[in-house]
Amino acid sequence: MDLPAGIRNFSYATDMAIFRTKTHWALLLALLVILFTAPLYWGNYWLGVANLIGITIIAATGLNILLGYCGQLSIGHAGFIAVGAYTAAVLTNRLELPFLVGLISAGVAAGLIGLIFGIPSVRVKGFYLAITTIAAQFIIIWVINHWSSVTGGFTGISVPLASIGGFVFKSEASQFYLIITITIICIFFAKNLVRTRVGRAFIAIRDNDLAAEVMGINLFRYKLLAFFIGCFLAGIAGSLLAHWIGFMNAEQFSLTESILYIGMIIIGGLGTTIGPILGVVFIRLLQQVLTVQVVPFLESTVALPAGFASGVTPMLFGLAIVLFLVLEPRGLAHRWMLFKSAYRLWPFSY
Amino acid sequence: MKSRRLLIVAGVLSLALVVATLPFVSACGPEAGEKTLKIGITTPSTGKAAEKGSPMGHANLDCIKYINEELGGVNGYPIEVVWLDNAYDAAKVVTNVKRFMDEGCLMFATASSAMMTASMEIANRAEFPGLACFNAPILHRPPQHIYGQMTDYGDDWSAFANYYMENIWKGTGKPKMAMHLLNNSTGYGALDASKAAADKLGIEIIAIEEHTATTTSEMESLTRIKALNPDVLYISSTPAPTALIIKNAYELGMYPGIPIGLGHAGITKALVDIAGADIVEGVYGVFPTANWGDDVPGMAKLIEYCLELHPKDEGNADYITSWAQSLILAEILRVALENVGYDVLAKGDVESWRAVETQGIQKLDGYDVEGLESPVSYTPGDNRLGKSLRVFQIQNGEIVPMTDWIEAPLVKYEEFEWFGK
Repeated sequence: MDLPAGIRNFSYATDMAIFRTKTHWALLLALLVILFTAPLYWGNYWLGVANLIGITIIAATGLNILLGYCGQLSIGHAGFIAVGAYTAAVLTNRLELPFLVGLISAGVAAGLIGLIFGIPSVRVKGFYLAITTIAAQFIIIWVINHWSSVTGGFTGISVPLASIGGFVFKSEASQFYLIITITIICIFFAKNLVRTRVGRAFIAIRDNDLAAEVMGINLFRYKLLAFFIGCFLAGIAGSLLAHWIGFMNAEQFSLTESILYIGMIIIGGLGTTIGPILGVVFIRLLQQVLTVQVVPFLESTVALPAGFASGVTPMLFGLAIVLFLVLEPRGLAHRWMLFKSAYRLWPFSY
Repeated sequence: MKSRRLLIVAGVLSLALVVATLPFVSACGPEAGEKTLKIGITTPSTGKAAEKGSPMGHANLDCIKYINEELGGVNGYPIEVVWLDNAYDAAKVVTNVKRFMDEGCLMFATASSAMMTASMEIANRAEFPGLACFNAPILHRPPQHIYGQMTDYGDDWSAFANYYMENIWKGTGKPKMAMHLLNNSTGYGALDASKAAADKLGIEIIAIEEHTATTTSEMESLTRIKALNPDVLYISSTPAPTALIIKNAYELGMYPGIPIGLGHAGITKALVDIAGADIVEGVYGVFPTANWGDDVPGMAKLIEYCLELHPKDEGNADYITSWAQSLILAEILRVALENVGYDVLAKGDVESWRAVETQGIQKLDGYDVEGLESPVSYTPGDNRLGKSLRVFQIQNGEIVPMTDWIEAPLVKYEEFEWFGK
């Protein structure tokens, strides 16, 4: 990490530390204070949006490990989230197991299903791998819809509120604390993972899998590990989503959602820890602004041709993605890096 | 470099424009300080169900405009609507409903059963009453805080099956019915009813095929159905996939030939527009509201507002259902106001929600909805407020009523071991 002029690292520990200056710690503290006091000044609606953002960040972080760091393209991420959601729903509703058991099981179940669909990654990559992961999306949703004695089929399944040690996360604020805590843990895990041997192996595979293999990296093992970790996080996100919404049916996990997740990490910046966070916040807020503010405004006040307002959301949404791909292909994370560099050198530009 | 800078400037200006227009959104409601009755309405005005959601949203808002401007609101209090698009997205409708609760809405309404399904758990937990326009058994069996404006998709199947047995079926033995179902509560509500009543009616269900809302071909599933030689095909879906299925059946030579019946989500003007009048000629369908242009008290105003504000929606039955929904919402508020007074409703909290539910919704007794649908009443244990529907047939591109109102008996699905599994 870049450091301000005059700051030196005098040990390996300080060199590896994520937060190294007083400014870093102050900013972290400020962020945590803002986050954990948010329920005091946000209403249920904005807390709900924040909860959705938190859940999406966990899932996008998983996809970023898989695609951004290891280079394995998956277009079935919503399917893996569905595995987690339904695992949690079935375990906590039908078997009445505790929330935490459901949460961990959701991650493990999604990870294991991810392993199965990750096996082809050893032989195929790029678009070919994308097609196999699309198959995962369709197969998972089909199974959920037709294994109705367990999943509730097309009717769906209700999911109880999350609870730990007798404390029920009933209010939106308490759910916010739960979700934001797990989100922070997942981000911290992802940040550290990519600095380990495993993470470096992922990056080596992404950059050149042949060279990585020659260096002694077991492609089979690490590609599958990337699938397991990426899908594990998707499962955790699915579990939180299930408890947050309270009712699941497979319609909530469409192929469009899977593609949206890819859009989020592209806009955020592939292969960076902060990328999924920025991408998710941008997309989710854009969705809120467009569907909650712009469309009602256009519908109620502007005499537009019939159906125009209905098309505004996808049009602006598509425009945003195109603009990012053209103007900032390295995503918001790159902008953030430029901002940090400018701040570090300020007031001297060079 | 110049073009890059130009693009950046254009992007920033676009975003600035969006942000700059936001304050006007809040400026469109009633004046600050005015005593209002606030309700939340969410429709899928964008997304894959927009062909239904868009006219339904228009009708909701047009009717509230009529109530506020011509009827003086509800007992003098204007209705303030928080209207939000949900884009047929479960996560969005969940945040929408939370926003309704946050903003002190007294109750909320949805257009589609799928969106109410996604948000019902949150509403039920908070005791926040909801009114679903399109209704499925899962929403109200067992009854909690979600109410159906009309009969549900299961009732559609029962009504059509009864009509078919009494008026269309001329053969001997059990007629063989094939079902083509949308892969959500719209489709599977009909399946629930067929499971509960097909044997009793003497109908044999020989095929159950499903499709998605974005299906592009059903030739394969219809070929399977055709091989089983059915006597009747029942489709419970939205207009676009329904139109596609009927077109495919037409191309396969199945239709005309065997009668086709539709649930109420499918038989609308949009179906005729998408499929073409000649293709859907003779198709039957069940619908729980009046037909466009019927001689009923509420039709003149509805048509007047539709032609003035949203002429493209003319002839669309979905416009009628949502106009009727807004009338029912107003009636619920009127009854609640009379029973508990404005001060209780002004709080916009759980006490108000309970008051609206127990002293408004549950006190509805034979409100005629200006003839736009069958009278609505609350019966303990039955959260369907409208309990009757009619059978229609498409004739020369028009949707023509074939029966008078038929009352759909309550089916307690939760008593069946298979329900929800």
